[in-house]
Amino acid sequence: MNGLMLVARREIMTQLRTKGFVIGLLITAVLVAAVSFAPKVLGGEDSYTLGTVNSQQLPLQAAAPDTKFEWRQFPDENAATQAVVDGDVDAVLVNGTKVLTDGQVDGELGVLLQSVNREVKLGAAGVSIPPLQMQSVGADTRYESARTGIAVVLVLVLFMLIIGQVMMVAMGVVEEKGSRIVEILLSTVRPWQLLGGKIVGLGTLGLINMVTILVVGLGSAMASGIATDFPPGIPGLVAAVLVWFVLGYLFFAALAAAFGSLVSRQEEVGSVLTPLTMLIMIAYLVAFYATNDPTGTLATVVSYIPPFSSMVMPVRMAATEVPLWEVAVSMGAMLLAVPVVLAFGAKIYERAVLRTGARLKLGDVLRAK
Amino acid sequence: MLEINELRKRFAGSPGSPVAKIALDGISFTVRPGEMFGFVGANGAGKTTTMRIVMGVLQADSGSVSLRGEPIGPGDRRRFGYMPEERGLYQKMRVGEQIEYFGRLHGMSAAAVKKATDDLLEQLGLTERRNDAVQALSLGNQQRVQLAVALVHDPELLILDEPFSGLDPIAVDALATVLQERCRGGVPVIFSSHQLELVERLCDSVGIVSAGRMVAAGTVAGLRAAEAGELRVVVRDPAPGWADGLPGTVTVDGDRHILRCTGGDDQEILRRAVKAGRVEHFGAEQPSLTDIFKEAVA
Repeated sequence: MNGLMLVARREIMTQLRTKGFVIGLLITAVLVAAVSFAPKVLGGEDSYTLGTVNSQQLPLQAAAPDTKFEWRQFPDENAATQAVVDGDVDAVLVNGTKVLTDGQVDGELGVLLQSVNREVKLGAAGVSIPPLQMQSVGADTRYESARTGIAVVLVLVLFMLIIGQVMMVAMGVVEEKGSRIVEILLSTVRPWQLLGGKIVGLGTLGLINMVTILVVGLGSAMASGIATDFPPGIPGLVAAVLVWFVLGYLFFAALAAAFGSLVSRQEEVGSVLTPLTMLIMIAYLVAFYATNDPTGTLATVVSYIPPFSSMVMPVRMAATEVPLWEVAVSMGAMLLAVPVVLAFGAKIYERAVLRTGARLKLGDVLRAK
Repeated sequence: MLEINELRKRFAGSPGSPVAKIALDGISFTVRPGEMFGFVGANGAGKTTTMRIVMGVLQADSGSVSLRGEPIGPGDRRRFGYMPEERGLYQKMRVGEQIEYFGRLHGMSAAAVKKATDDLLEQLGLTERRNDAVQALSLGNQQRVQLAVALVHDPELLILDEPFSGLDPIAVDALATVLQERCRGGVPVIFSSHQLELVERLCDSVGIVSAGRMVAAGTVAGLRAAEAGELRVVVRDPAPGWADGLPGTVTVDGDRHILRCTGGDDQEILRRAVKAGRVEHFGAEQPSLTDIFKEAVA
């Protein structure tokens, strides 16, 4: 097995063995599942129990086919009042003229009762009103809310995973530099093997996280039934998200290794990485903005610019239909940028990683022979 | 045979210390197979820089390092064992896994590395600590793990920077035994140390570095021979003025007269002393390595 793979394997095994990684993965899975079930739990009630006292049942089912109605009959108003107060029924129709409820009537139910009642009375009087035909002349908005929901979750997941793994790369570089392990390592492997192994190993862990989130998310979405609201093309989106994650991670990880190799102490990692975290924050903010306005100028333009495209483009793809050529151009630009940044990061790393002591200046490292 | 030939290295100035520093100024020496080579010198003399260049961790500005007549490359270095001055281990990694990891990096198979690790842990008395994290170990034991990391792949050459610093005498002996064993197996061993008595006791050859140059190198005995020993004669109750005309100085301690001198005809001195009184001591004082070192770097 060559040096790079050995280094990568060590990174993976070390992390998999820690409690933090396993617990983090479990918490993520639970959170994602919770998010998938939330609309179901928090969304309005979609079944009602109704009662009648000396009244006909109203044909509510025909007016609201997605809602379930259960009817009960009460001998008198007193019994019905008791049932309403006890919460056994949501509303009781008395004598076909009034409705008993506990507090204000549920908005949707109120409108439904009024309109169906009106329709029945008018029908009895021989008046029939054909229902209004609804026709959309704009974009297909059937999936809009589902798309926005997916995009919001996606932007959070991409941001957390990229920044998390990138920090790990920087901290790993500093650990090896600060403890001088790097001297022993570099007498057996080349710098690019050491750096490459670290990036591959931590990236694999990030992918494990990402795949877990996708599997749990889609699985619980199907289990909770909200998957029926999902737009078509989910498998394509999943594949694109994985590719974008890998590209974005590689770009930022190369920079993290370069910046990290400038310092010798863990306490300095945060400050030396500030420019990088700012870059990721900008990508995150634009991507978050894109969840709301995926076709706006800002989101569209930024979705072409590496490295921001790695977060903005997948979010746009989730939030709206993005033409394939746009994705291809954006991904092409990123594919060109990643090797350049990797080469730059490796160069800085190679020059700086053995120079322990005070924090190095990027410019000095670049100028040095 | 390891040959270090005319190594030069200059460190550019940095904002903190703007003056460029010449770390190595044409250092040369050789180490033969099975030889233990002690590298001594004041702090900043260039020992660590030399070792780092041999290990390929630093690049020399000029000069060469060759093994068996061939310039050494990365492939050779994978078969070297190295213990850097500032110890480097993954603190959270387990002892056994750490040794195995470095063995694998040196190109060993999984099975071979397992066996070598078992043997080393046994030899260094760390078998029970195999599954402990390195950070749970005492400093002395961490040093043993560090040595195991340098030895796991059965290196062709051992380079150890200050391997004995911070160790108690028992740990020093344990470490020395392991090194001597490897050395007897034909492995050239280079180590640096400030403990000159230890170097004198262990090493076949010694190199004394000062300001980036090798100022004296050779066997300890050879260095001693080169360093003119001081003749010391003790005569009991001699006739007054016995040493008139002899080189050196006489000090009087009770009825003992002690003559110290360098150079001069020792046989003549002996004859005069015997004639003068009872000779209690006559001999060349062996300079210790410390004396040689101080003389060399002065």
